[in-house]
Amino acid sequence: MHIPDGFLSARVALGYAGLSSLGLGVACYRLRARRERGASALLGVSAAFVFAAQMVNFPVAAGTSGHLMGSALAGALLGLPGALVVMTAVIIMQCFVLADGGVFALGANVFNMGLVGCVVGYCCYRLLCGRAPSPTRRVASVAFAGWCATLAGALSCAGQLSLSGAARLSVVLPAMLGVHALIGVGEAVISSLIVASVLRFRPELLESNAQGALAARPRASAVYAGLGLSIAIAGLLAPIADAAPDGFSRVTQALGLHSSTASPSLAPFLHGVPGVVSGVLATVLAGCAGTLLLFGLCWLLALALVPRPRSTEPSRGAVVESSG
Amino acid sequence: MSSIHRASAGLKLGVSLALIVGLAALPAERAWWGLGALPWLLLVAKLARLSFKPLLRRWAFGAPFLLGAASLAWFQPHGLAAAAALFSKSAICLLILQLLASTTSIVELTRTLRSVHAPPVLCETIVLLARYSSLLGDEARRMRRARAGRTFHTSRIREWQALGNALGLLFIRTVSRAERVQNAMRARGGA
Repeated sequence: MHIPDGFLSARVALGYAGLSSLGLGVACYRLRARRERGASALLGVSAAFVFAAQMVNFPVAAGTSGHLMGSALAGALLGLPGALVVMTAVIIMQCFVLADGGVFALGANVFNMGLVGCVVGYCCYRLLCGRAPSPTRRVASVAFAGWCATLAGALSCAGQLSLSGAARLSVVLPAMLGVHALIGVGEAVISSLIVASVLRFRPELLESNAQGALAARPRASAVYAGLGLSIAIAGLLAPIADAAPDGFSRVTQALGLHSSTASPSLAPFLHGVPGVVSGVLATVLAGCAGTLLLFGLCWLLALALVPRPRSTEPSRGAVVESSG
Repeated sequence: MSSIHRASAGLKLGVSLALIVGLAALPAERAWWGLGALPWLLLVAKLARLSFKPLLRRWAFGAPFLLGAASLAWFQPHGLAAAAALFSKSAICLLILQLLASTTSIVELTRTLRSVHAPPVLCETIVLLARYSSLLGDEARRMRRARAGRTFHTSRIREWQALGNALGLLFIRTVSRAERVQNAMRARGGA
């Protein structure tokens, strides 16, 4: 999802640079306001970990490959401001050390993978987790948040490319969303594996975050719900506005191979919903069905990853409580 | 250390940015003008005494991504020309960025970031990122050797499970190590 230099027009690049430096400024301000002991070490380690994990590519269908984005994972471990700082550091390092992602496009990249990824990932995580989540619920939330964050980042990236006139929205949007719906599955699996291990060995790393040690205190969950929902709605409305099925058929016709192999897109859903005449409705239905299916898969993954509590412990606790 | 390496990071960054912005501003029909920068860039590489082979290899590693992204421009009027223009522009930009990356150290980068008043938390995180990456690599190597020593025979699914556990464990082990480092630094009056 790293946009290289040369694809964005100057106006778009500067606009998004402004937006992301604004977000980064707010994050740094809130981090400094409630700086905890040992926080900088945790930030540094998380940044190094995300940096290393992003170098590992896994194959995705149709000859493309993807890697972990890590913004939902960082959001769950560090809270929103910490995650944003970590993602920004990672993207800056990738740009200047590995020449991955452009200098001029740095603002846009920080916006997609940092701001959008962290806000969507963190909002989904907090919304799904609730107040006192069980380990299974926490792992499932992280997995689903990772998927949502990847998709949201891809959406915003597609928007920037089409705003700069590099490609039409009706082409770039289905292509990006299709590939990243699959990459997001990898993201969900890796994030949940890591969070499951953290829960098993160092649960206080996640607990302290929930109480707001590194995180900015959530003012109201309504704010997060609103943010997440608005971005989700934008995600649903954008393809409708530009008639995604049209772009789909054009891409598949032009490439030929996509239609025959297992298509890396929602195309089978789009054309396969029975009894729906309107293409727009089909898009929305397919999106909802796919998301629900994915949420179920995340929950199953969490069930598989989190070891069952021993049956003696809760019952003993109950006995003690009732007798006392 | 060539003179290019020794030049201030701010200057290099400024020149690269100016070139990249200029390239981005070129209209699609004039994108070929960007190729005019190529001899100058090669001259810079020569002056910096970078060997061409690794440079070319790294460029060739990044180029398929550019090609993939540029091919999305195919599906519009005059698509082929637009895609070719995008590809040539971004390929030159990639070369500029690689020259910048291979002649600028992380220390210089953070110094420049500090001098343009980037938030201190961000600078500190970047420094620690560079520091802990090597630590993370060492830890990963140690864990891999330990696993290879204990595993005689394994199936693919077991291997993926082990890899997943190892990832989580790697994070936790490095966090613990970082905390020890932080405490040691604090005990000596730092951080």
